[in-house]
This record gives sequence, structure tokens and C-alpha cells, in this order.
Amino acid sequence: METWELLSKIIFLFVILAITLVVAMYSTYAERKVAAFMQDRLGPNRAGPYGLLQPLADGLKMFMKEEIIPTMANRTLFILGPSIAMTTALLTGVVIPWGGNLTIAGHVISLQVADLNIGILYIFAMVSIGVYGIMLGGWASNNKYALLGSVRAASQMISYELAMGMAIIALVLTTGTLSLKEIVDQQQGWHWNIFYQPLGFLIFLVCAFAETNRAPFDLPECETELIGGYHTEYSSMKLGFYLFAEYINMFISAAVIATLYFGGYNFPFLNRLPLDANVLTILGSVVFFLKIFFLIFLFMWIRWTLPRFRYDQLMNLGWKGFIPISIANIMVTGVVIYFKELFF
Amino acid sequence: MRLEDFLLMRHELLLTLIAIIILIAEIFTDDFKKQGIRPLSIILMAIVTIVGFLPAPTGTLFGGMYQATDMRLMMKNILNIGALIVFIQSASWLKSDDNQNKVSEFFLLLISTLIGMNFMISSGDFLMFYLGLELATIPIAALAAYDRYSNKSSEAGIKLILISALSSGILLYGISMIYGTVGSVYFDKVSVAYGATPLQIMSFIFFFTGMAFKISIVPFHLWTADVYEGAPVNVTSYLSVVSKGAAVFIFSIMLVTVFQNIAAMWKDVMWITAAITMTLGNLFAMRQNNLKRFLAFSSISQAGFIMLGIIGGSELGMAAVVYYILVYIFSNLGAFGVIAAISNASGGKENMSDYDGLYKTNPALSLTLTLALFSLAGIPPVAGFFGKFFLFTAVAEKGYWWLLTIAVLNTIISLYYYLLPVKAMFINKAETSIAYFKSDGWTKVGLIICVAGMVIVGFASVIFEYIRTLSFGL
Amino acid sequence: MTFLFYLLAAVAILSALMVVFSRSPINSVIFLIICFLSIAGHYILLNAQFLAVVHIIVYTGAIMVLFLFVIMLLNLNTSNEPHKSQLTRITAVITGGLLLLVLIAATKDAVLIQAKNPADYNIGLVKQIGQTLFKQFLLPFEISSVLFISAMVGAVMLGKKDSKKN
Repeated sequence: METWELLSKIIFLFVILAITLVVAMYSTYAERKVAAFMQDRLGPNRAGPYGLLQPLADGLKMFMKEEIIPTMANRTLFILGPSIAMTTALLTGVVIPWGGNLTIAGHVISLQVADLNIGILYIFAMVSIGVYGIMLGGWASNNKYALLGSVRAASQMISYELAMGMAIIALVLTTGTLSLKEIVDQQQGWHWNIFYQPLGFLIFLVCAFAETNRAPFDLPECETELIGGYHTEYSSMKLGFYLFAEYINMFISAAVIATLYFGGYNFPFLNRLPLDANVLTILGSVVFFLKIFFLIFLFMWIRWTLPRFRYDQLMNLGWKGFIPISIANIMVTGVVIYFKELFF
Repeated sequence: MRLEDFLLMRHELLLTLIAIIILIAEIFTDDFKKQGIRPLSIILMAIVTIVGFLPAPTGTLFGGMYQATDMRLMMKNILNIGALIVFIQSASWLKSDDNQNKVSEFFLLLISTLIGMNFMISSGDFLMFYLGLELATIPIAALAAYDRYSNKSSEAGIKLILISALSSGILLYGISMIYGTVGSVYFDKVSVAYGATPLQIMSFIFFFTGMAFKISIVPFHLWTADVYEGAPVNVTSYLSVVSKGAAVFIFSIMLVTVFQNIAAMWKDVMWITAAITMTLGNLFAMRQNNLKRFLAFSSISQAGFIMLGIIGGSELGMAAVVYYILVYIFSNLGAFGVIAAISNASGGKENMSDYDGLYKTNPALSLTLTLALFSLAGIPPVAGFFGKFFLFTAVAEKGYWWLLTIAVLNTIISLYYYLLPVKAMFINKAETSIAYFKSDGWTKVGLIICVAGMVIVGFASVIFEYIRTLSFGL
Repeated sequence: MTFLFYLLAAVAILSALMVVFSRSPINSVIFLIICFLSIAGHYILLNAQFLAVVHIIVYTGAIMVLFLFVIMLLNLNTSNEPHKSQLTRITAVITGGLLLLVLIAATKDAVLIQAKNPADYNIGLVKQIGQTLFKQFLLPFEISSVLFISAMVGAVMLGKKDSKKN
């Protein structure tokens, strides 16, 4: 690897990190605005114009708060929990293709940090490590509500990971690759995977809600039963990490859904526009972010519309609903592909 | 792969098929119809057993991973018979209230272990062998804990799973060393390249230890008695007969094929362990009062006798091993069948003193048990005698006179303790012996098959001659 | 690359040792997770990305989470192993040490065999693994599925609620 390439990768990595953090920050703001809109309120509007500085104020507040570690807690694990949650949330961004190729001064720069040939699985691996952040944090707090919340979170995430994985398998059957870049490239024009895998998309979307612990699947932290769930005992920036990790996860899952099912940075007539390649790439990235923002809005929309599930309903839905449906989806996909290859 | 090639895997495929049928039957039948699963499973198993005897092609599949020879088919058929008898014997036990809601699980788990054993016997490489072995042991551990309201049963389950995990680990370590030194896991390649470098000897020791746990040869037998005692009787009988038989089969096959280059070495190891196994098994068996424990130690010493045939290593020895397992299936299952019937009817009476005066109240069962114990001891008119005779011949043929002496002495010792229950039943007087009870049809059928087996297999010399023609050796 | 290998190997061995030595079971589990992650790192060094990621998903992400579950729910925080007698300890040390000695002696003289495909760096990629698994190793693959089904049946049987007894 040449120096400039390494350098460009590192710079790009930091850009992605910054974008992720900023988007997550403003997701909190957006969430409150959307909630306010749904409930016919105004939402935050004191800090800055339209309350735009509210996230900064929140962050500052988090930093200034007193930091409390319960006496009986396991200190190492108590700190390790939010760190893992944050790290794994941030690590997923590297395999997502944020855009096509830019050509600057003769050098081709890919707007993707790493094009792993198993990109999807990498995201899965990170998500599955992320469970530890919640489990360790909940256990280390030495608080029964926190423990209950973390056990709920972990079992929920594991249960829905299965259906999610099987939705992905059906998708991989149609695309024939695990690399996110190739999957995006296959979806040029209107060939978005959502049209080939509508059921898979639905399963994936619902599972993404469950994986990010968002309503209507926010049982791990449901205030009414568990005070605050796994982060009951957390305060200050460690709590901030957990909350922030959730928003980052939401952003990343929106990005993954957009990549897998909505054509990523492709949009119809992309290639017919009489524009420079670099401009097209940037345009594609902008479209990609628009898709992501729409999906984030969908996340919030659902959160403020649907009531929370009961825990047994959640498990029944996961194990008895989605897993059989996703298996059926795989089978149908397989059969269709087989006959398509046989006859066409 | 052609469609006809699947015929080679007839046993395994049929067993898988009936496992799926039972699974579907379990899912789609209402609770009150579940009783039908018992006869269904038994009939399906009987069909598989009979179909297994039809002539079949031989050959290898998947590049030598799967091997079907006449001898291996014979071994599978023997195991099928054993499993069928266990199925029939457990029918009345499964009818009881505690077990009613997990009948199909019992059959499913047994069938899956049988699939594993069949694949293990047909394996042509270490990977298949290992997978088959795991499939043959893991479901059994769940079955040992079948009786959920008994602490002993749970203890048996956890002990079995821990021991099988440990021994599988040791075995895998040995296999990994073999792969490391030879560079292949296929039996034919390993057998050629296997020398006597220190690492290879080490790998054999690990392999031997792992298998010794499964067959419960003496230094590695400590789990046997507890597991046999704790597990439900029918599971114990399956464990002591079919599981052990399968392990012995594949062990003997591997010793004379894969490890043929170091035959002199493993014969020495086997010599010592066989002598210790026979002796210690016998000495401990003498002191037992619980009949399940008693049969556990008896089966340990039986394993020692079986090893005699392997030490012989000749075609005669191999044939004697297979024949002995066949006889052993009928005899041990006969003994366990009687114990199971009495235990179920009397609310768990399994001690030898409970059997005092049994002949007066239940003459048929007492006679069956006596016959089975005679056969285990090797008293002439029954098949067990011929089994032991052939084993001794195989050792004598190769000139292991000391070992033969020890074996004969042990047979005499074993006569003593095998006759203890007989004495209890026929001679001892009891105030309250177990009352007369009528066993149901399934139990009767199971015991009749065992008795018939013990008599017919002994007298029909055709059977041994037939096994002899299929046999192979060093 | 060599440096990375030694680093990962050191981490793997040290964390594996810590699994055994740490007093609290939860620390053992965490060290085991670290051990698995470093083994996944080894896979990546061998260019077997698929194996690495699947290793993380299956072992770290699923199996170890269940371990943690059990330990958390049983609250096995402090180690409460029964105290072993001095004699047992001495015997264990001696036998273990002897086994180690013999193993070292056996491996000392071992001959290196040639790797089958020393230069094939594609061996760990998804396509190759799929081809191998579904062609050469189809039968073992299918048997393991039977194994899993039977294990599931066994687990369900043990966990099944009794309709008669509550």
C-alpha cells in the first residue's frame, strides 16, 4: 500500500467517524423534534435557532454530571461495558460503501474504508460483540433491574439475530456475494433489492429495530418496568456512551438497510446525467444519506406510534413468527433461483 | 454421485427417514393421540431392521469417507436388532404418567444415536468417525437424564455428558496429532503412513484413552457404575449393549486397519488393560447389591473379555468379537428387560435382596433372568458359552497363554456372582417377595426375542460361520 | 506479519491461561472471549476472513453469550470450588507434569510435514469453503445437522414443561 493511499484511508476514516458522530448527535435532536411533532408540541427550541444547539448542550451536560460508580459494582467491567458498546457501534461503519470512486489528481479514492469480501458478516460480528457491552454493563452494576435489563437485551438480540441472518441469507442467494460494494453495484438504476426481496426486507427491518433496542422493542430499558434497564446505575458520560451508541447503531442500521435493499448510493438515471464522474459520486453519496435520513425518520416514526411489546410477545414473534417466515423466504428464493437458472 | 449410490447408505438413510417421520408425527398429532407414536416407532424400527438384512451392494462413497462392506453391514444389523429390542422393552415403561409427554423424544434420540453409530461404523476417515461418535453419545446423555424428577438420573446425565466431552477431547487431541504427523485423515492413507515415531505413539495413546472411556475399560471406567445406576433401566440397557457394541466394532476395525503398523504395540497395551479390566470388573461386581450397578460392573468385565478377540487380531478373533456382541445383546438385554419389568411393576425395586423368592411369584421372569445370567457367565447350553469359547480360541490361537489363564480364572470368578441373583430367586426365602404381576404384551415380546436369541444364536452354528466368512483380520 | 502472528499467539496463550487461573468465572469467560478474538485474528492472518468472522459470530457472539447468561443468572461471582486435599493436588501436579514432559519429548523429535497447499492464499475465502463443504465434505456436513437436531430435541426434552406436574 502506498503512502498516499494509506493517508487517504486514514483521513477518510476520520471523516466517517466525524459524520457518524454528528449524525448520531443530531439524531437525538431529530428524535425530540419528531416526537414533539407527533405529539403536537414544539420540542427543543431554546438553544440556538430552532434549538439546533441542543445536542451540544446535552453533551456538555453529560460531561459535567457527577460520575458515580456504585460501591459494590465490578469497576473494570462497569467501565468496560459502555466502552464496548461504543467501540463496536463505531467499528461497523468501515465496511459500508458511502459512495463510488473519486478521482483526485490521478488517484482513485474509494469512498469505502475496507471492501471486505464478507462485509455483511463483519457487521454481524460487530453487532454480536456489541451484546457484551450491554450484558457486562448490566451485570457489573450489581443491580437487579440492570441485570434483568441486560439479560432481556441479550436474549432479544440473539433471538432476532437469527431471523436477521436468515433474511440476509436469502438476500445473498439473489446477489451471490457477501461484499457490500458488489451488492450496491448490482443495484444500479431501479434494480433495488427491496423489489426482489420484499419479505426479506421486512424481516430485516423489524429485526433491525430489535437489534438496536428501539421501540417497539425497547424492553431492555423500558422505564415503566425496569427503571432504566441495563444503564440504571450509569451516570455522566458513561450513560452518554450507551445512549449515543444506540443512536449510532440506528444510523448504521439505516445505512446497512439502505445499502442492502435501497441501492446504496445508486439512484435511477444516475448514469444518464451529463455530469463529471466526481460530481456523480458526490451526488450518489448525497442520495445515500438522504435514504439514510429517511430510514432514521422511519425508526423514529415507528417509535412514537407503536406501543411497546410484552416480553413473551416479543419472544414469540421472534422465534415462532420471524424465524419460520425467514426460512420459508430462503426456500422460496432458492426454488425461484433454481428454476430461473433451469429455464432462462 | 448416482442415485444407486444412496443404496450403500441404506441403513443410515432409512433411520434418518424414520426419525423424520417420528418428528413430524410428534408435531402434528394431538396430545391424546400421542400414544400411537410408541407402536409406530417400534414398527418402523422393525421394518428398518428387516430391510437391513436384504442383500446390499458394497463400495465406498465420498472419496472413501464412507465405506460399506459386508462386515460393516452385519455390524449395523446387529446394532439394529439391539435397538429394536430396547424399543420393544421400553414400550410399557414409556406408558407411565411421568413419561407420557416425551415418548417421541425418547425414540428420536435413540434413533439419532443409532444413525451416529452406523455412520461411525461405516466411516472411512477420522472426521466421519468423530462426528458419528459424537452423534452416538450426545443424545444418550439427554436420555440418561430422562427421568427428570430423580436426582440420580440428572446426575447420570451430567456425568455422562462431562465424561463424553472429556473423552472426546482426548480423542480429538489424538486425532489432531495423527493428522499432524500423517497429513491426512483418511483411514487408508493413515494406515500406510503410520509409523512408530514418538508423536505417533503419543497420538495412539490419546486415541486409545478416548476410546477406552467409551468402552469403559478399566482405568477409565469410573463413570460407568454411577451412570448405569442413575439412568432409567431401558436407557442403561441401550448404553451398555448397543452403545458399547458400536464402540467396540469401530475400535476393532480401526485397530486392525488404521493402526495395523503398530499392532505389536497396541497388543501389549490391550493385553494389560484386558487383564485388569476383567479382574477388576469381576471383583467389584461381586460386591454390588443394586442390580443395575451389578450389571454395570459385569459389563465392564465383559468388555475385558471382548478385548481378547481383538488381541487375537486374526479373522477368527474379529469374527468372535462380532459374534460375542450379538450374543451379548441378547443376554444383557434379557437381563435388563427382566430388571426393567420388575422395577416398573414394583415401583423401583432394583436390589438383589428384593429378588428373594422371586421364582415362587414370577417363575417366567425368574427363568428368563437365570437364562440371561447363565449366558453372560458362559454356562454351556446357552449362546454365551459359545461366544466365550470362540474368544478364548482366538487368543489361544496366537499363543497368549497367560492371558488365557487369567481369562479362564475370571470366568470362574464371574460364575460365582452371576449365580448370586439366581440363588436369591430360587433358594432364598423371603417374607415379602415381589408380588405376582402380569407384564404387558410388549415386554413379553421383547423377552421372548431375547430368550430365542440366546438359544438360537448358540445352536445355529450357521450364524458364526456366516460372520466368519465376512471377517477380516491382521 | 510475523510480528502480528507472535502478538496474537501471545495474547491467545496468555488469555487462555487466564481462563484457567482467574478466580471469578465471569473473568474466565471474558478471557475466553479475548482468546477467541485473537484466534479469529489468526484466521485473518491466514486470509481466511470468512472463518474469522464466522468464528466471532458463532463463538464470541452466541456461545459465550450463553455462558455469560448462565454465570450471571446463577450468580457464580465468587469461586466456591470444594477445597482439594493436599494429596490430590500433589498427585495432579505430578501426573500433569509427567504428561507435559512426555508430550514435549514426543514433539521434540517430530518431523515437519509439508503443507498441502502452501501457496494457496484463497483457501479460506467464502467460495472455496463453500465448494469444499458442499462437495468434498457434504456427508460430514449433513451429519452435523442431524447432530444439531438431536441435540435440540434432547435440550427441548429436558426443558419441556410437564403438563401433569406443575
